[in-house]
Amino acid sequence: MEYQHDIEINGEDKYLNICKHNGLFEKEKDSKDDTDSNKLSHIEKAYTTILGELGEDVDREGLLRTPLRAAKAMQFFTKGYKETTQDILNDAIFDENHDEMVIVKDIELFSLCEHHLVPFFGKAHIAYLPNKKVVGLSKLARIVEIYSRRLQVQERLTKQIASAISEALEPAGVAVVIEAAHMCMVMRGVQKMNASTVTSVMLGTFQDNPTTRKEFLDLAIRK
Amino acid sequence: MEHSKQKQYGSSENKETGHSSVLNGHFDGTVKRPAAGPSLPPAAESGSQRPVMESWREERTRSVEDNEMSLPSLAAAYTTILRGLGEDPQRQGLLKTPWRAATAMQFFTKGYQEKIIDVLNDAIFDEDHDEMVIVKDIDMFSMCEHHLVPIFGRVHIGYLPNKRVLGLSKLARIVEIYSRRLQVQERLTKQIAVAITEALQPTGVGVVIEATHMCMVMRGVQKMNSKTVTSTMLGVFREDPKTRDEFLTLIRS
Repeated sequence: MEYQHDIEINGEDKYLNICKHNGLFEKEKDSKDDTDSNKLSHIEKAYTTILGELGEDVDREGLLRTPLRAAKAMQFFTKGYKETTQDILNDAIFDENHDEMVIVKDIELFSLCEHHLVPFFGKAHIAYLPNKKVVGLSKLARIVEIYSRRLQVQERLTKQIASAISEALEPAGVAVVIEAAHMCMVMRGVQKMNASTVTSVMLGTFQDNPTTRKEFLDLAIRK
Repeated sequence: MEHSKQKQYGSSENKETGHSSVLNGHFDGTVKRPAAGPSLPPAAESGSQRPVMESWREERTRSVEDNEMSLPSLAAAYTTILRGLGEDPQRQGLLKTPWRAATAMQFFTKGYQEKIIDVLNDAIFDEDHDEMVIVKDIDMFSMCEHHLVPIFGRVHIGYLPNKRVLGLSKLARIVEIYSRRLQVQERLTKQIAVAITEALQPTGVGVVIEATHMCMVMRGVQKMNSKTVTSTMLGVFREDPKTRDEFLTLIRS
């Protein structure tokens, strides 16, 4: 199925999925917890080095606990690596005889650019055409969270969200549009304040049928 | 220590008129500022309090050569971070990320390489203008010193000249120098106001910053729409409510 190859794109994803299928995931998770605080202290030391190299005084009051705070913040920004779609979706798929479009729009999204480790943020709009199975609405937002709280590239993020919904629900079609501002473009580099990047993935009926796609875009995007 | 520093500078900017007289003593003349780092002579005051005049004499803590020399250790630190987060630093998308992230971080803290006096030297002009001058909606990008996460927003600056005006873009450049550092919004506002005061000795200065803190939006309390507003009013902006009112109305319009 065309969705399968997406698992390989984000290296970590592939690892987690394979482990899970072989039943090794649980054991891996336990040993990972043991070394979590180890990892935190490595990241903390790295941040202390960074502060020093930038020319700051690591011992001044405002920066005393910054390495720890920054390390925890960074772990929060990448918490999506530890989460899987299966964990959050398992209970919230329901059988409904509904085959009209379901849209959840304006889902706030925060991610980290994998090239510069600088945030990018925006909104995601998701639509799907159910095929006997609907999903709890907040689960769509949770799927966005799982994949966005990682080191990402906007194109891949969009595709991963669409693939996850496709695999979980097997709907007649899925559409995902993300509109985001990239701080790596705003705060540095070209420094264009108002530029925003829009990516979209249309699967199933959304891809084949232009009227369906148009209906989604009109309902979700046009004000 | 101060005397020797005064001799170092011989610039006509810091005459006897100095810092306290213009502000009518309402400003307490001291301001907490981040210690300047290892390149300061060890005999400098050890506490974080320093006289206001010092911002003119702030030593650069970093140079372009320093940047190049720090790049490898910065990149190594970022590689450690990537590994610590569970990512694979060898995958295609992340191969050069440590270097890019290190350069980006150096750019976000380039304010440490710059000094006010370099930026302002030629752009102070004698004009017989004593009405308010406002430059508003200056986009500002800074880094939160507590979480190393961006802060962005807008700065509005107003001042009442006292025979001397400043090139308008220089106000934006002052904002750049102080915001491209690890900052706390309160301190940033004050540093901008103090720098303008020291450069021009105007009758009054007002600085308002409204910013969004990613550390509050992306993590922690996660309040998407919250904004933090700080302001510093010096001189006649502080004493005269009508002047302050005029300034605040004009920046809102």
